[in-house]
Amino acid sequence: MIIENPLNASPLVFPVLEVFHIAGFALSIGTIALVDFRLLGFGMRHETAAELVSDLHLWTLSGIVLMIFTGLLMFSSDPDMYYLNTAFNIKMTLLVLGIIFNYTIHRKTIKEGAPPGKNKMIALISLALWVGVVFCGIFIAFIGDGIPRE
Amino acid sequence: MLAFVQWLQATAFFTAFRGSWYVYPIVMSTHLAAIALFGGMILMVDMRILGLAMKKRPIADLIDQLRAPKQVGFIILVTCGFLMFGSKAEEYYYNIFFRMKMLLLVLVFIHAMVFRSSVYGNAAALDKAPRVPAVAKLAAGLSFCIWLCLVICGRGIGYIEPPLDKIHARVNGHPAAVVADATTPRVDQTP
Repeated sequence: MIIENPLNASPLVFPVLEVFHIAGFALSIGTIALVDFRLLGFGMRHETAAELVSDLHLWTLSGIVLMIFTGLLMFSSDPDMYYLNTAFNIKMTLLVLGIIFNYTIHRKTIKEGAPPGKNKMIALISLALWVGVVFCGIFIAFIGDGIPRE
Repeated sequence: MLAFVQWLQATAFFTAFRGSWYVYPIVMSTHLAAIALFGGMILMVDMRILGLAMKKRPIADLIDQLRAPKQVGFIILVTCGFLMFGSKAEEYYYNIFFRMKMLLLVLVFIHAMVFRSSVYGNAAALDKAPRVPAVAKLAAGLSFCIWLCLVICGRGIGYIEPPLDKIHARVNGHPAAVVADATTPRVDQTP
């Protein structure tokens, strides 16, 4: 028996999910980036990175929850395509790495304080992982079935 | 205006741009990555003024320290946006979401002008006031709405494909001729 996903009943559902997905990552990646920029010496320099993390961690978490929730719903609209999509698979790998990194090394380094060199390294790794997630997210739609269009 | 967009997309630069399948997605990814990295700054400034986030920090700390980074983000967004527009300018020109998005960008500038003296250029006074002035909350609320609408319209652009063949046919009165006169072959771009 084939059960049709109700999300595919209206053409409006997917774009609406995308908007919430974008809002979710603007919130999560945006707040992580505020901390990373601070570690690199840009932006909120009156505050310490640890202060920023304590101000922002709930917003970061809310954004992560929102983007994962909307992401799962989008995934459910066409699971086979996503499963076979290289960009999607790289994205999931980077996402898992990004989340683990954020809640382990990133968090710990900031909490304990580290020399500027290490701070910068941590910030760059974090930014690279999250920017990678966004790039792969966009490429999902362009790769589609796995055959690049030429 | 129509002549301009047709000229723009026919330039050698944008013709080459269209010829590659990966340049457009890379520019689009950069556009979205800028939303990810800098959108949070706009959100946090708005939410701080509304009293929802970062309440331990003075409003002036956020407004003054994030002004320059927000401007950098804005320039990246607009640059990438213009590149995407230029690659299929005529289609964008007829796209209702694109037109709304341009109007919203005008609103971004009007918003910045209107609230410059009372809010964004006056951040220290907002912290001294016993309560955050209503005008500041209005500015923050409007900013949030404008940016949300920008995201909605931006996403909407990809879901509309104006029927250029029919539009050309109507303008020229020679449907067959126009359909045959294929515009530069371009990669079919999924939204």
